[in-house]
Amino acid sequence: MKYRYLIYILSLAILTACEPKIDEFSPSKGSADFTTYLAFGNSLTAGYADNALYSGGQENSYPNILANQFKTVGMQDDFKQPLMPTNNGVGVELISTGLFFHTKLILGYATDCLGQQSLAPVFADPDASQSDLQTQLFTSVANQGPFNNIGVPGLKSYKALSVICQSNLYYARFKSPDANFVLEEIPKINPTFFTLWLGANDVLHYAMTGGTNDSITSMPLFSSSMDAIITSLTQYDTKGAIATVPHITSIPFFNIVPYNAIVLTDQALVDTLNLGYAVYNAFMEAMGMEYRINFQLGANPMVIADPTIPLPDSLAMLKMRQIKNTELVLLSIPQDSLKCAYWGSQIPVPDQYILSESEIAAISGAIDNYNIKIKDLASLHPVALVDMNTYFNEFKSGMVFDGINFNVKFIEGGLFSLDGIHLNHRGYALVANYFIKDINRTFNANIPLVNITDYPGTQFP
Amino acid sequence: MRKFIYIMLLFAIATWSVHAGGYQVRLQGQKQTGIGLIGTPFNYGASSMFYNPGALSMMKNKYDFSLGASFIMAKVVFQKDATDYQAKTDNPIGTPFYFYGAGKITDKLVVGLGVYTPFGSSTTWDDDWAGQMLIQNISLSAIYYQLTASYQINEKIGIGAGFVYATGKVDLNKALPYNNSKANLEGNTGNIGFNVGVYFEPNNKFSFGIDYRSKIIMKMKDGDATFTVPSALSSNLPKDNKFDAELPMPANLDFGVAFNVNEKLTLAAEVNWVMWSTYDSLIFTFKESGDLLNSANPREYKDSWIIRIGGQYQLNDKLTLRAGGYYDPTPTNEKYFNPETVSLNTTGLTLGLSYQPIENLTIDLSYLHLFGQEAEKAYEPDNFSGKYKTQTSIPGIGISYSF
Repeated sequence: MKYRYLIYILSLAILTACEPKIDEFSPSKGSADFTTYLAFGNSLTAGYADNALYSGGQENSYPNILANQFKTVGMQDDFKQPLMPTNNGVGVELISTGLFFHTKLILGYATDCLGQQSLAPVFADPDASQSDLQTQLFTSVANQGPFNNIGVPGLKSYKALSVICQSNLYYARFKSPDANFVLEEIPKINPTFFTLWLGANDVLHYAMTGGTNDSITSMPLFSSSMDAIITSLTQYDTKGAIATVPHITSIPFFNIVPYNAIVLTDQALVDTLNLGYAVYNAFMEAMGMEYRINFQLGANPMVIADPTIPLPDSLAMLKMRQIKNTELVLLSIPQDSLKCAYWGSQIPVPDQYILSESEIAAISGAIDNYNIKIKDLASLHPVALVDMNTYFNEFKSGMVFDGINFNVKFIEGGLFSLDGIHLNHRGYALVANYFIKDINRTFNANIPLVNITDYPGTQFP
Repeated sequence: MRKFIYIMLLFAIATWSVHAGGYQVRLQGQKQTGIGLIGTPFNYGASSMFYNPGALSMMKNKYDFSLGASFIMAKVVFQKDATDYQAKTDNPIGTPFYFYGAGKITDKLVVGLGVYTPFGSSTTWDDDWAGQMLIQNISLSAIYYQLTASYQINEKIGIGAGFVYATGKVDLNKALPYNNSKANLEGNTGNIGFNVGVYFEPNNKFSFGIDYRSKIIMKMKDGDATFTVPSALSSNLPKDNKFDAELPMPANLDFGVAFNVNEKLTLAAEVNWVMWSTYDSLIFTFKESGDLLNSANPREYKDSWIIRIGGQYQLNDKLTLRAGGYYDPTPTNEKYFNPETVSLNTTGLTLGLSYQPIENLTIDLSYLHLFGQEAEKAYEPDNFSGKYKTQTSIPGIGISYSF
């Protein structure tokens, strides 16, 4: 039957049903040379997250993500990072008794002083021994170097060119034997392309002590330090990218605890507090000062210590006031003291947990000036400007990428890690994409972006 | 024969996929499919119930039965914007089917029952693909049951109308932006509609047809929503939830003309106005955690005009050959192109043949190939964009029996 052939032909056509094809992405390096890449910066560059440096965080650091993408445009060598030996990693805090070492934070359940259990950041291994953690941090990995990612957690601009950075445990861990400070690590790699994102710690350390300790790096010092760093990085007309400093007062660390965290539901307690502060109010009125402390049912602004109130030291106990809604409470404030030890109502919250209006202004002013300097450097050198400050500002009102919503809120915002300061893996992937976009634009390159969904967000239990 | 019918019935529980014209599938007769999916100006027996109930009254025999199915093999490729990432769908073979039975009550009045599947879509992306937060996989299907009456006013004009009861079901999965989290939405529903048509054959050279099928809105009530999330989030997102949603099956207005060049050759043309603009947004309302979950997802489809041409040639008493083509512009909106329904501007080419081994029996074969034009699309609410391209092969088989 001859019609059978028609059926055969039809079947054949169906079996070979063509696969639709779209031209593949064609990467190009443009006018830049990505053969050897070096990342210079602080904790954000190191891949620090969840209040620790840990291997999983480092593997998802934005420089490591960038390096993977640079491979498509001619990056030759391995991108070496001073990886921590464990995925729980090590963080370190200076407390009254000395250094306290801990693992990274994970989301778990914590019980507060009222016996209430809630979802909260907890140490991944609360029983990790101090000596084990110290061993991880104190064991030099210099023999595995030199490293392409020389991001140092806690690094300030001027410390990069001073021997004092040797006291930084994270730097000491990978310091090359014949280098004296971070800047001297650059020639070990001799990069053909670099990224530089530095400056946050020049204000962050001050901000994290509520302005009571440390200081904001002065503009001349920041300026000269950055000059020295960029000069060293661009020594052979090396191209690169330099990022601005985000306004740190928008990060969760300064925005989780509300200024009016004192919620009163009992009129008797309100009356007692107001009676207690009647003397304070009368005194302030007599002094001709405008400070008043009043409580009512509902949410009340905290009472905070304010050493700047112009009273003699003999009256130090009266140097307190209610916090303004424009002022910020730090995440480091002991929550149990707020809930159970009358902080903020009967006892003023210590100054180290508060950023006052003037402190916020000082921080903002410094960042604005740093960013002017950074943009200046970008215009004077063959580098791409990555205006991370502008990008981060956009997250305040919320952003969406590939169906995932991001904002600057703690945990639910999806951008920041559990320390409320550093980014989570997805956040670092977004940073990498911003770098790529600006590098592509500046050097007429075509480096592929990464898929945000490939990077994990905060892990819920 | 019995085995054949049995296989056909199996398809009734299967779903299908097509990547042209939103989620509409006009594969309701193999003869019509072969000739560019033109049906309005033809009297192709019982299958006219779908294409033009007015033509049904022109049926030659007393009884006419028609049964068939198509096999949709659709492939989609996606190239994500500014990345070197490509993804392909792994869609199941879709199987729209039809069954029609019609009989003459009097010389002028024909009644009939039809069961067919004019809407459906099935798209399966990898669970971990880049668009996982928008859609992982979806299958939509609708089965229409139609009671039809057709009346021959005179030898030149027939009119007809059908009452439709439609059932629909949806099953979709998408990832949620938490670790190992996903949502599954599943539901069934039903609603009613109608179609009307007029068939006009002024002389033996020309025939005309006009057909209107009403919009049917599939209103999903208390569908099952299952959320798989970490235990810490289970109080915010309860595992078992219910949802309401509605999806419109748009109205169609079709106008077709056929011209008999000679005794053997017929040429035809048709336009379909598909009123997709009714599909404005996809709104989900949840019984629990509504403030967190309820969403209005813009689609903003626009009406589309499909233009079709085709021809058939009667080779001999036993064999008729058909071919056709059409252009089906996408009804989707540039800004709201969601990978759940990858509908591109599509060109369709068709081939078909009818073989009549004995006088009462016809076996119909068709083959349709769809070329979805490569296009850059975005779903802006989710900031998800890239290039899409599709290719679809659809062979079909059917039989008609009349006496």
